[in-house]
Order: sequence, then structure tokens, then C-alpha cells
Amino acid sequence: MAKITIDGSEHDFPAGMNLFDAVAQARGEALPHFCYHEGLSIAGVCRMCQVEVEGVPKLLIACNSKVQEGMVVHTKTERVQTTVKQILNFHLLHHPVDCPVCDQAGECSLQDFYMKHGLYDAAIDIDEKLAKGKVKPIGAHVMLDAERCVLCTRCTRFTSEVTKTHELGIFNRGNHSEIDVAPGKTLDNAYSLNTVDLCPVGALTSRDFRFKRRVWWLESTDSVCNGCATGCNMQIHHSDGKAYRFKPRVNRDVNDWWMCDHGRLLYHDIQVEERLEGPLVRESESGLALPGNWNTAYAVIESKLSELGEARKIYLVGSPHCTLEELYAFSTLLPAAGAEFLGYRLAGSERGIADDLLLDGDLTPNAKGAARLGLREFDATALAAAAGRNAILIVLNNDLAALSDDCAKALTGFGLVVHIRDRADRTARLAHVTLAGRNFAEKAGTFVNRKGRAQAIERALEGPKNARDELRIIRELGSLLGHSPVWKDAADVRREMATRHDGLAALAGAIPTAGVDLDARQADEVGHG
Amino acid sequence: MSEAEGAMKAAAAFAFSAEREARFQKLVERYPTNFSALMPTLWLCQEEWGWLKPGVPEWVAERLDVPVSRVYELITFYTMYYTENPGRFNLQVCRNVSCHLMGAQRIVKHLSGRLGLAPGQTDDEGLFRLEEAECLGACGMAPMMQVGNRYYENLTPEKCDALIETWMAEATSDSLRESRAEEASDV
Amino acid sequence: MSDMPRILSGNFDVPNCHRIDVYESRGGYAALRKTLPETLGTKVQEEVKAAGLRGRGGAGFPTGVKWGFVPKDTGKPVYFLVNADESEPGTFKDRFILDYDPHLMIEGTILSCFAVNCHDAFIYIRGEYGWLVDRVQEAVDEAYAKGYLGKNILGSGFDLEMIVHKGAGAYICGEETGLINSLEGKKGQPRIKPPFPALVGFLNCPTIVNNVETVASVPWIMSHGAEAYRAIGTERSPGTKLFSLSGPVKRPGNYEIPLGLPLRELIFGEDFGQGMLDGIELKACIPGGSSVPVLTAAESMEVNLDYEDLAAKGTMLGSGGCIVIGSDAHMPEVLKVLLQFYHHESCGQCTPCREGTGWLDMLIGRMLKGKGHQRDLELLERVCAGMAGTTICVLADAAVMPARSFISKFKHEFEALLPKGIEPEDYVPTAHSAEQSS
Repeated sequence: MAKITIDGSEHDFPAGMNLFDAVAQARGEALPHFCYHEGLSIAGVCRMCQVEVEGVPKLLIACNSKVQEGMVVHTKTERVQTTVKQILNFHLLHHPVDCPVCDQAGECSLQDFYMKHGLYDAAIDIDEKLAKGKVKPIGAHVMLDAERCVLCTRCTRFTSEVTKTHELGIFNRGNHSEIDVAPGKTLDNAYSLNTVDLCPVGALTSRDFRFKRRVWWLESTDSVCNGCATGCNMQIHHSDGKAYRFKPRVNRDVNDWWMCDHGRLLYHDIQVEERLEGPLVRESESGLALPGNWNTAYAVIESKLSELGEARKIYLVGSPHCTLEELYAFSTLLPAAGAEFLGYRLAGSERGIADDLLLDGDLTPNAKGAARLGLREFDATALAAAAGRNAILIVLNNDLAALSDDCAKALTGFGLVVHIRDRADRTARLAHVTLAGRNFAEKAGTFVNRKGRAQAIERALEGPKNARDELRIIRELGSLLGHSPVWKDAADVRREMATRHDGLAALAGAIPTAGVDLDARQADEVGHG
Repeated sequence: MSEAEGAMKAAAAFAFSAEREARFQKLVERYPTNFSALMPTLWLCQEEWGWLKPGVPEWVAERLDVPVSRVYELITFYTMYYTENPGRFNLQVCRNVSCHLMGAQRIVKHLSGRLGLAPGQTDDEGLFRLEEAECLGACGMAPMMQVGNRYYENLTPEKCDALIETWMAEATSDSLRESRAEEASDV
Repeated sequence: MSDMPRILSGNFDVPNCHRIDVYESRGGYAALRKTLPETLGTKVQEEVKAAGLRGRGGAGFPTGVKWGFVPKDTGKPVYFLVNADESEPGTFKDRFILDYDPHLMIEGTILSCFAVNCHDAFIYIRGEYGWLVDRVQEAVDEAYAKGYLGKNILGSGFDLEMIVHKGAGAYICGEETGLINSLEGKKGQPRIKPPFPALVGFLNCPTIVNNVETVASVPWIMSHGAEAYRAIGTERSPGTKLFSLSGPVKRPGNYEIPLGLPLRELIFGEDFGQGMLDGIELKACIPGGSSVPVLTAAESMEVNLDYEDLAAKGTMLGSGGCIVIGSDAHMPEVLKVLLQFYHHESCGQCTPCREGTGWLDMLIGRMLKGKGHQRDLELLERVCAGMAGTTICVLADAAVMPARSFISKFKHEFEALLPKGIEPEDYVPTAHSAEQSS
């Protein structure tokens, strides 16, 4: 460790550590900067993070300096402050004052630093601002405004170093330098929207988010992406009960600073038109699934149960989209009443293409969690074998009919199909009763990602008033079958689950925001035992 | 066909002469990386075709297996790579300090009047282009200009006129020869 | 002057000395033939260090010391890059070496590569010197044919490959890390330092970049010894330097001078510039290429051409491009020519230079058009203050030095361009501006 002094106070940091990071830790806030980013190479081009280091005649950029024993650093001297203001001035020189129409307003580094450090006399005195490409869609998801660009090179470094797709470049020279895609190219890699996160100003903005909401109205709730088994950490940005975008949350053990475009845009999926406001009940004459109420829906189930009596056979199908808590509750409570759990997933379903960045070939968020609970997959044959007049099928959060025609066919053979889902999907058209559930933005719960990391999601949105949390529905079905659980909510479920499964013991309490590596804990315990 | 496909198709249409292809192979062998061979390859292309026509940058990117964005970055960064016809006689008049002190602007104005071109313009036939250049390393022989691979130094308006006449005569005799050859082949 | 050995320019007046047979007939390659088989590379390094040779491109850093920074056992190849990207306004000395004595440069490069155990050399020549690229390539081919390049040179066991590389028009490629990036196939944008090229350079390997004139000095040092080199010039600026003389003098051209020669001798001496053209008086002089502060006529008459004296008088020796400015010149116009040059050549990477060079050019431009604002000189200085010492490379400083020196030493000419009286409305500073430093 090296002892260094920053603005008069002593600190211990590892020798060789990046001075920018050290100062950020010491002060609790980063030095002004555009080009520095932990996930990218050091560019040193914005010249904003300059500090005075005793013994060095020139100011040094902190991002390209290393902690050395005895270093004395000053970040707030007159000389540093004047320099920062002058450089900010240079950044503003040709910058169009687009703030009233720029999506970045409210989360713009240029705005923020100007407010903190800026010059207030009218020193932006030039005859004409340079015109560059404006309102140029450079890809399916990204809009470019080259006039706003401060040429920090974060986006070009991202496409060179992270995705290695090289779509972006900086062309020309001097103050005619301009970022753009190469002629005839588009920014169309699977991670293009990360450049929007990286861009400190409004040069690269999301086309999907364009003009939809001013960012100061948005609230943020931590969550985890449901698009695949990677489980990228993210935030749900929402306002007035509506989600407007997903943004990644840093987690060095899962997704670093990034998210894929597909995962990001899945926020649309929690607001689909087919969203159920309440249960559906199928009318026997027309065969149509029509909006009903909970009493009617449960009455249909009760009636079937009493009709079948002892002859009844109840089968359960779960889903790798369910939370751990839901899967545990579903696979323990109802089987206690005699139901048979067929499986948590149709084998081979929901596969995609993986890559060596973030995309996983399993397009579901909790297959690993289901496996840890000891649950198995099932196939269409098993489903067909279970079908019969006396058979009741309860499907939790799984659009079986859309996954396979064989499954759809098998469904029609059941005496009663109860579907629990947040939307009117294909299975809902075939089910006798569809109980309106919630999507992942409307509940608390846990997912286990492909690497065995348990991660928590939190409730961001209220959702329709007449939809019900899946755990509540499971409890109510349990009581229809004569079994009531001890647990009341997700935390309770998790506690019980943790005591019943060794491998999930770590989940007894609250789960930290960075998640829990279930295998690491296991190794610890094995060591102690 | 998309723009990208069009460029790729255009790229497929290019090939060096046998002699230049041999030089290209040799330089790819000698330079330590494909990237480092980019500049000399672009020079070979300009030698071959006069300037970097649409599709040539994509062709170079493909041949050297480098991203096309990097090729365009080079082309737009350096002043000597042209993406449009730089004229058969590309008059680059130095405008920097020593030449300026010795009357460079007078030469620029004279040439501009004589050729009917403002600096930065090429004439319609693609014969002459007038440009102001930065210091060309002939400060003691000022004012001067570069045309092709030659420097013309200690210029006066009269010398400029004489040079232009020579070049125009050269262009005329070339085109006469070409049209005679065409007629001969028609017969 | 007749007793000063012509270390660099000895072959300039010899017809066809670019050919190896003529070069050798004049003693060329004798230094190489003597040194390689008998001496260790480290001895060459020591000799050059003892001679006190300093980088002749502009920085003046001691060459032997620079070579010493190359680490011995990285396991990586060492690269040697000869900087023939000569683009500093007022400078055309390397051109003469490339044109009239390319083998001097080649021999010097081979010796220098031997000194740092490098087996791969590049000669990076500015693209505009196209015909010289061909000439140097021919000379390199001749050297290969003679066995001075390639494998096992002169039976010493030392291998060296040499590639001639043509630039494509960018002044910034003369900056050593800009040159390295350009050679790698990137835009010629300088790198942030640390790391320094001697450790991490071309392809992340240890690299030395030296100017043409610097390597061209090495053969003489090796054949005559460090002592003899030190006997010329001054104590801290030993040896000779080529100075390019331009502007309204009777005999502009390249002159090899012993360091320490008075500037007035270079301009007015019978063996040199022979004074001003008829009807023109000396008004100012930029002694070392456009990027150094200008000297008034009075100052020019009092300074000697070595690193120390020029620095003591507030300017620099730089590239040795001596630009003489006559009484017929309008200083603001001359400054405009320079500032538009830096604006054109800024690589655009870092903000203060990219925006600052454009701003300086715009300001001087509007002043000359009679559209300047009353406080433009103040604004110019503020822009300069934001650029100096805040950038990745010294191009920003290179623009600031002429700007500041021209304005301070010829202030009346600049003030004459500004409107008198009432300040324009759009330039009223806000009252709290001075106090508003957070």
C-alpha cells in the first residue's frame, strides 16, 4: 500500500492504482471527466481530470497517473479550477445549445460539469458554430447528433475493444473531426445501446426513448434482466406506473457495465397490449375466453374439483421464468395436496444464439434456479400421457401452446386447464380459466443465473389492480385443495426454502444488490464443515 | 441492393496491375502487421487509379482484413489521399510563412485568375486543380508549388504562365494521340 | 568557418552523391566498416553520449541518453524510426540530406540501430517529398546490394532490415508518438505519455524515434570520436547543426553552422544570408521554426544560435528553421498564416488544441477583416492560457508561442486592428464573473 495525500488528507491506496479511481474513492465523487471509463482503455483526450501533483511542473491527467508512495495531490487549487473552466469552455465552444430538445438533459455530463465548474462570463465568443451531421439514425436503435459530440472516443473505443465490431470511427482532422459510422455501415451489433449509456452528452441517444420522457421524472428500481440466463443487473426506470427504459447496473461478476439491446428493450414486454386486467373464464358455448372475476374463476375450479372427486389427478407445469420463490411454493404446496409436478420447462424450448460477451443460449432467467430446487424438465409426450378427462393441469407462467404444437394438442385433452399468466397468450385461449398474474417488474423475487448467482428483483410497478401476485394465487389454489402454507410473502417463502435446500441456505435473509454466488458459499460451508 | 452490398460489389471489381500486385504482396510480407501496410496500400491504389474511387476503400479493407471504418479514418485524416479526381495537374501552392513573406498570395491570385479556379476547385475537364498547401519544405526557394511528384520553386507569374502552357500543350497532344488511336482502331 | 568540418553538408555540392559509388569514393561507409566488426553496440551508445549529440528535430534531447532508455531484456524486438516527416514551417534541412546524401542518413541509421540492438528500421518520409521517397528507396536497395543492410552485416553477426515508408500529409506525424501511430496504420495522433516510446512504442515494443539530421551526425562521430565533436560548438550545445534560412534575405538556403554562431552572422554574414534584400530592413526573426517565440530585430542581433542562449532569450533553437521577417511584413497577417496552419494540422484528439487552434485562427482572422471585438486580444490570451501545457502533445504550445510572442512584441500592430471606443453589446462580461470561481 502507498500513502498519498489528496487535498490535505492522507489515504492508503495500492501502489500503481489509477489515480483517477483513488481520488474518486477518497473524495466520494469523481473528478470532472468525459473520456475516462473503467471498462475501456485510457484515452486521456478530454483533459478534464487534471490535477496538481507536487514536484511536477505541469498539471497531470489523473486517469493516466498511478498512485505512488508520498504523492501529494491537489484537486481544488485555483490553477486546477481555472484550467477545468477553460477546458469546459473549449468543450462548449461549438456545442449547440440544444438542451430544450435534447434527451440527455438532466443526465448530461456537460450540463453537470458546467453547473459545478463553469465560467459565467460570455467567453464563448466565436462568429459561427461548426455544422456537423445532426439527427442521423446510425443504426436501428441509435441516433447520432455529431454537433453535440465532445469527441471523448468512448463510443469508438466500445465498438473497437468490447464488441470488436468497429462500426464507429472518428473521421477528418482537427475541429472538423466527426464521429460517424463508416460509409455504408450501420451500428447494428447486439450491444449498440451501450454507446448511448457511454455517451456523456446527447450525441448518441436511444431512438426508442427519443422524446418519450424527461429523465428527471424517472424513478429507478434495481432489478435483473429476464431475457436470458446471464441475468444482467439492471435498473427499471419508470414514472407514473409505466416503465420507460432499462439501464444496466454495474456488476463485475455478471455483466460489468453492459447490457444487450434485446434485454434493454424487453421493457416493452412488461407493457404489452395483451396484458390481463383480471382473470379470464372460458364460456362453454362459444369457447371464448372472456373477462371474468376471481370468484367466478375459482368457482369453475372448485366445481371441477368436486365433480371429479377422488378420481381427480392434478398436474403442475412450472416455468424457467418463475422466481425461485414461485417455483418452490408451486412445487411444494400443491404436491402436498396430491398434485404431481411434471416439470419446470419444456425440454429444448426457448433457445437462442450465445456469444462470448453477454448473450446466453438459454433465453430464460431461472433455469438454474429450478435445477437447484431439484426440479426436472418435461417433454410433450409426458404432457400427453398425463392428459385425460380426470386430469387437471395447472400451468404457471408458461405459454405451452406457443412453445410446441404437440403441447397445444395435449392441452385439449385435459379435463380442466388452469393457466396463471400476466397476459392473454395462446395458452389462455385454450385454458378454461386464466388467472391474471404479475410480470417480473411487479414483484419481489430471486433468480439464479447461468453461473449459479442468486440475484434479487424488486417491485417497480404496481400493475393492474385486479391482477394478483403468483404466490397469492398459489396460496389460494392450495387452500382450494385443502392445504394452507405457513408462508405469507416472498421473504417467508425464501426463508423456508433456504432451510429445506442446503445449496440455497445463503438465501435465508435479504439478498445483497450484487447477488450471491451460491457455489462460493457452498465451498465455504464445505470448508467449515 | 443495399448501400453496403453495393460497395461490396464495387469492391469486387478492383484489381491491381500485375506489377502493382507483386509490389502489394511484397509489402504485406515486409510490414509487420496488416494494419501497418494500410498506408502504402492506399498509395498503390492512388497510383493505379488516380484517386480512391468508391469501392476501393472497401476493397482495401477486405484485402488487408481490417475494418473499413479504419480505412476511412485514414483517408479523411491525411490530406494526400483523394476520394475525388484531384485533376491531372494538381497545383498545390504553399501558403505558409516563408512563402507568404515572399509573395505566395500573389502567385495564388495569378493562378486563380489564369485558370478560373478558386483554391480548392478542379476544372470541369479534370485537367487542373488549384489548392493551397501548408509548408512543403522549400522555404528558401519561395514562392513555390508542388505538382505531382515535382516541386516548382522560385515562382514568378511568368514562370507560372509558362508551366501552364507546357501542361496544356501536353494534355492537348495526349488527347490528339488518343483520338487518333481510337480512329485507327475503328477503321 | 573554413576550419569547421562539414559533418552534415559535406556532400551537398557533390554531383550524384546519392549514389553509393560516389558516396563511398568520398569516404562513405568507412565509419560503418570500422565500427561494426570491431565494436559493441554499447560502445557506439557511449560514444554518441559522450559527444553530447542532441536531437535535431526540435526537442534537443541528448541522443545517447535517449538510446539508453531502451530496456535490455524485454524479449520484444526494438524498432528504430527515422523521422523524415519534416513539416515545421521554415525548415527544409532534412530534405537536402534525403536528396543529396541519403547514404549518410542510412549509414547513420545502421550505426544507431547497432547501438540499441535494433534489427528493424523504418524511414518515415513525408508524403509530399514523393520523389525523395523513390531516391531513398534506391539508396536503401544499393545498401542491401552492398551488404550494408540485411543479414550478418560485414560479418558482424548484426542483422538489420530497413523499410522506407511514405507519409500522406499530416504535420502531426512529425511528433514521435504520432509517427508511431501512423506507422501502425492508425491516424497519426500522438499518444498520452507515460508510457514513453523507449518502453512502449511501435507495436507496443521499445522504440527509438530520431530525426534525419540526428542520425546523419553519427558516422562522423564514430569516425572522428566524441572529443573531436565536442571541440565544435559550445559546451552544452556541441557539434554542428543545419539551419534553414528563409525570408527576404539575399541568400536563403541550408547552412551547416557550428552551434553558438551568432544569429546576426547567419542573416548578414558573407558566408551565409548576406543580409536583407534591397529596400527591406530586418524587422523580426523566428529562429527555430514557426513553433518558437519570435525575436525582434534588436533581439536577433544579440543572440547566439545554441540551445542555451536562445532559451535564455525567451525562444528556442527548435528545428533550426530560421525565418527572417522584413519591414515589408504586417505582423498580424504573418500570425494569421501561422495560426491557420496549426488549425489545419491539429489532429483533433484533445479538446484544448482542437478547439483552441480553431478559435485562435478565427480570432486573428476576424481582426484582420476589421471585424474584431474590442477585447479580442484579451480573449486570445485567455485561449492561449487554456491551451498551454494542458494537451497530449505540444502542437497546442506550438500555436501559443507565436501567438503570445507576436502580440506582446508587436502589440501596436495588433491593437491597430481593433475598433476604438464603445464595446460591442454582445461582449459585455457579467458583473460577477471574477468572483464566480467555485
